[in-house]
Amino acid sequence: MRSYWSRRALGAVAVLLLVIAANFFLFRIMPGDAVSTIVDPRFSPEAKERLRELFGLDLPLYRQFLIYVRRMLTFDLGISFLSQRPVWEELKSRIPNTVALLGSALLLSSALGTWLGVKAARRRGGLTEKLVLVSGSVSFSFPSFFVQLVLLLLFAYTFPVFPLRGSVSIPLPESAFARALDYLWHLLLPAGSLVILGFGSWAIYVRNLMVKTLGEDFILLARAKGLPEGRILWNHAFRSALPPVLTIFLLALPGIVSGAVITETVFSLHGVGKYLLDSIMGHDYPAAGAAFYILGLLTIVSNLAADAAYALADPRIRVGRRIQR
Amino acid sequence: MKIPRWSFITFFLILAVAVIGPMSLSKGPQETVAKPFAPPVWSGGDAPPPFSGNLSPASKEMTIEWDWDAPENLTLRGQLAYDKEVTARLVWTTPEGSKYTLSSFQGSGVWSIDLDARDMTFKTALGIPPFAGATSLLFPSRGLHVLSLEGPSPSEGSLELVLPGGRWGLLGTDQRGRDVLSLFIVGIRVSLLVGISATLIASLLGLSIGLASGYLGGVADNLIMRVVDVLLSIPILPILMVLVGIWGKGLWQLVLILGLFSWMGTARTVRSLALSLRESCYVENLRSIGAGSWYILYRHLLPEAMPVVLAAVSLGVPGAILAEAGLSFLGLSDPRIISWGRMLHEAHGFGAFTAGAWWLIIPPGLGISIICLVFLDMGRSIEEMADPRLRGGGKS
Repeated sequence: MRSYWSRRALGAVAVLLLVIAANFFLFRIMPGDAVSTIVDPRFSPEAKERLRELFGLDLPLYRQFLIYVRRMLTFDLGISFLSQRPVWEELKSRIPNTVALLGSALLLSSALGTWLGVKAARRRGGLTEKLVLVSGSVSFSFPSFFVQLVLLLLFAYTFPVFPLRGSVSIPLPESAFARALDYLWHLLLPAGSLVILGFGSWAIYVRNLMVKTLGEDFILLARAKGLPEGRILWNHAFRSALPPVLTIFLLALPGIVSGAVITETVFSLHGVGKYLLDSIMGHDYPAAGAAFYILGLLTIVSNLAADAAYALADPRIRVGRRIQR
Repeated sequence: MKIPRWSFITFFLILAVAVIGPMSLSKGPQETVAKPFAPPVWSGGDAPPPFSGNLSPASKEMTIEWDWDAPENLTLRGQLAYDKEVTARLVWTTPEGSKYTLSSFQGSGVWSIDLDARDMTFKTALGIPPFAGATSLLFPSRGLHVLSLEGPSPSEGSLELVLPGGRWGLLGTDQRGRDVLSLFIVGIRVSLLVGISATLIASLLGLSIGLASGYLGGVADNLIMRVVDVLLSIPILPILMVLVGIWGKGLWQLVLILGLFSWMGTARTVRSLALSLRESCYVENLRSIGAGSWYILYRHLLPEAMPVVLAAVSLGVPGAILAEAGLSFLGLSDPRIISWGRMLHEAHGFGAFTAGAWWLIIPPGLGISIICLVFLDMGRSIEEMADPRLRGGGKS
């Protein structure tokens, strides 16, 4: 148990350090003065002096890196070139939106995919199985933004049931309840499109695992004991197929975060990914670096959450033996 | 003879269109051909289709059956040559019978005509104020319009009359009035070029790293695989975005960046293959007769890994194409280079939605999807050729 967690934690720290190092070096390999990626020429001389001091720009590179790591870990992310305000102030309001989009899309698509996959495995050759196979291969080859653009065209232009852009209506509705409803209304199409794009590959994977598991001896035994079909399917077969499903959850995470960046752009959501794009387009380097860092952090945190779920689901880890993968 | 899989046939068709298509276009794809957001000819409701016709020594009169509102513009271009002294006029007759002289000529030699209904000189020649529309004067109602050349026949030359319609081509026009079909055809090249060359770089990297990792084993293997794990657990698109933002948006920068960040999968597959081959009897025999590491790697492991790499190339191309399209869609590509992702970016950014211009979104999107499906299927069939165990069943 301890070895599993220490290895996972070590992995997370390694990824975190890599993200920070990538951030640090990417913005320093640029042509010209490294200072120009942190200090905008338009800043006042006092501000320039202060930033130089804060980032230790006159110190050797390794000292600069240490200072940088400390600043990143304390969310002291520098000052945006475009708005001239601390980047963290700007990012703070966007993080919940990205988390809501990612979280709802992940949970819904994995739940739907798992359910359909299990159904497809039970009734081989049925309608569900065909649906699962087709939607799976579609989700592999259709660009996410294309599907989302078509959905936007259909449900925001041709049949205007959903908003064309934004995370909330402007002006905001008065009551808290109406505001929540408004937020959901804006979230439904982006999150829904991610579910449509995502459930297929889940379903295929779960189906393949379940087909294999349902052919095993212990399922035959469960049948021989006369257990009800639902219980065999979920408590016996799916329970033992759960750990590898969670592994896929882990592997799919980075792709889903990438997808969120595109989704936020298509639907013009007030999120971290859209902020990253806007900052890159506006050559706002501190803001771009910070947005990249936050996205990396989100991935790491959800990675750890999936690890925790894996530890709960796999008795070999819960009980404490070394995991073999 | 066995018929090749559909994907190979489609691939060669796409390749042919990518090579021949741009050459067969009469106009450059960047040229404005009709009004912005003109729908395709076959879908466009009451908007008039584009019209063009010729006047020549053989046919000195042209009739235009016009059943729509006045067109946006009218252009008349060309040259007529006379070998003797003449007086000639170009006369426009409306359905009501009123006549307008568009241009006249006196003398001998070449008569160059370059008329545009938006020109001030054209309007003043017709006697209307410079801010009025000339076409509403020339097209007062629906019916038969006649353009005729009065005077003796010219010895040679021809005139072309063009009326841009409200509908255009097979796929309409975009926000700048460019022909979407030409843009679509030219866009194939970028997808193929970036997809294939980025994947080639990635596969070469993956092959060498995988072979080294699997064959060397030990600390090097451990280190490389940790690096792969870490790279696979951070979202790649934000890194690509940052790199493109810093390095520039050129095509070759994009290829290089994509190649550098998509070798991990191939490296993993090749490594596991090399790992199992390293322990196999025949490699052990080779070693026992004194074969060096380089010799074994080059003459035995590399050919064994080739089919796997070939399949990886084919299976990796969709990823690279999707990544390129994604970056272009986000606007992180050279605006001078036409690609399908760029088309979608412009459609999203420049008001295709408010114009309801589905013809700007569906063709490039479907194009990307079809190319990806083709490469996926080719990759699978290469895999089957390399590994006969996959053949037959078809379903997993």
